[in-house]
Amino acid sequence: MTSEPAQPKGANGTMKRSELTDDKAVASEAQLLEYEARREQALAMGGAEKLAKRRAVGIRNARERVAYLCDVGSFCESGLFATSAMEVDRDRTPADAKVCGYGRIGGREVGIVANDFTVMGASSSATNSRKIAQMKRVAIQRGLPMVFLGESSGARMPDTMGSRGMGTMLGNDPAQYRRMRETPWASAVLGMCYGSSAWYAVCSDFNVMRKGAILAVSSPRLCSMAIKERVDPEELGGWRLHTEVTGLADLAVDTDEEALDAIKAFLDYLPGHHNEVPPVRGVPAGSGGGMGEILSLLPARRTQVYDMRKILGTIVDKGSILELKSRFGKAVVTALCRLGGRTVGVIANNPLFKGGAMDTDACEKATSFTVLCDSFNIPIILLVDTPGFVIGTEAEKRRAPGKIMNFMNALSLVTVPRLSVIVRKSYGQAYLNMGGGRNSDEVAAWPTAEVSFMDPTFAVKIVHGLEPGQPRFEEQYAEMARDSEVWGMASVYAVQAVIRPQETREHLLRILEVHQLRLTGGVGQHLMRTWPTSY
Amino acid sequence: MATIEVRVEVTGLVWEVVARPGDRVAAGDPLMILESMKMEIPVVTEREGTIKEILVTEGMPVSEGQVVALMER
Repeated sequence: MTSEPAQPKGANGTMKRSELTDDKAVASEAQLLEYEARREQALAMGGAEKLAKRRAVGIRNARERVAYLCDVGSFCESGLFATSAMEVDRDRTPADAKVCGYGRIGGREVGIVANDFTVMGASSSATNSRKIAQMKRVAIQRGLPMVFLGESSGARMPDTMGSRGMGTMLGNDPAQYRRMRETPWASAVLGMCYGSSAWYAVCSDFNVMRKGAILAVSSPRLCSMAIKERVDPEELGGWRLHTEVTGLADLAVDTDEEALDAIKAFLDYLPGHHNEVPPVRGVPAGSGGGMGEILSLLPARRTQVYDMRKILGTIVDKGSILELKSRFGKAVVTALCRLGGRTVGVIANNPLFKGGAMDTDACEKATSFTVLCDSFNIPIILLVDTPGFVIGTEAEKRRAPGKIMNFMNALSLVTVPRLSVIVRKSYGQAYLNMGGGRNSDEVAAWPTAEVSFMDPTFAVKIVHGLEPGQPRFEEQYAEMARDSEVWGMASVYAVQAVIRPQETREHLLRILEVHQLRLTGGVGQHLMRTWPTSY
Repeated sequence: MATIEVRVEVTGLVWEVVARPGDRVAAGDPLMILESMKMEIPVVTEREGTIKEILVTEGMPVSEGQVVALMER
């Protein structure tokens, strides 16, 4: 209030200047109070009772998740005062169930969509769909990674019901689920994820699940009603299903905090957008310290198995491995790592599983990882030890030829540096899929490498008709085995370097330096940026 | 007592059976070795327990996913 005395109205009923000032002051005070009240209501989410229930079982709410994810004080909310467009729901839809905005993670801007399950099950509505669209649009146009914190029940009812509801709610954004990999997307499945949370999770480059969370097209309840299937939520879409069978989740963790930490860790390997190189970090002390003993990690016999991850861990920067889909297609390891502080993507055969023979799951995993690396300017390193692809009726039923060729085609479309190291076996078509020939920019091999079209035992049977134990088998086998040694391919320059195993890290560091994409400032051509996000 | 089924991850031939009924095994222990793709592929248990029954013999072909041993916790 001002201290000026009240002035009478003029003869024509208009107010004098001082009256106008007074009214404005009263109005702005009331407006500010309303602002605070509305803000408080929006920040209260679905109410104290629902929030307390979550807290009691150790599950964070949407705003706590955002706060944990972002650098302190960096979250800039978009749409705090948004509510349902339906009159009846207006007062019970704070932020319309999706907390959206921009935050910083490790100093870098990201776009965030966090589902607030306490508000109408974070169901999708006309208003909150516009909020999500804005986040994605800004992220794509300004080069920000996107983070989706999933927990939603699906389309909001009854908003979406009927043809009018469908016409209003669905299909108004033709880019809603379009993925062109302009910027990295990371998703966490942190509760029941049906509808949009499930869709964004599988559209993402990285998807972490908290154990106990569910990712599925529709709920067990709807399954029961529609197809009379009684199913446990875990069986329908739990972490075991998605980390071991479908491969739709990259990682499973125990808590919300671990899931959010995983998103931060993933994004730390990635550039902010596709026209940028990934961040470079310091090299931890002790990196490469075990190289002198690396050969001891190989077993004595060529038929025995071992864990390639130990070899990988010895070569790359200490503690820098983020393995993706570690429980799926295990004959291949896909991992983001650092070498000399730079992000590299490693595709490695792992003889510990299936002897390193690649099945269809392993092919899909290698393909999607190849697309990720190439889309975000991450050089690829292939560590090779495979007897070939899994063959037989099961493999054919799972469309092995198609999966093998998808993988092959992906590798052939890579425009970031591809370096391969043949550690031991490389046979048949798998030789090409793992970077043999011109499918790498540089092929290096250990002296332990053995390369051929098939194992010498089979070859002796096919070429000479001899079985083990028959006269001349041993002699023919010895000759075939000798021909598989690395020296033949080195002599025809099909490998560019035969290296001492203990020099692998130094060799890769040097060759990676040579193959920096100088002409484009480290940026590749992203020829697979529209490839599927799952197969 | 819960029965644990041990399955093979790959189609091949049982090359050597290492574990016997009554043996106490830890997670990660090999129960048998398969021969497949000219590799010696161990069949390991993911859980600890006691071997109840070995369902295959050496030289027997097995298919991916086949149950080859039963264990009890």
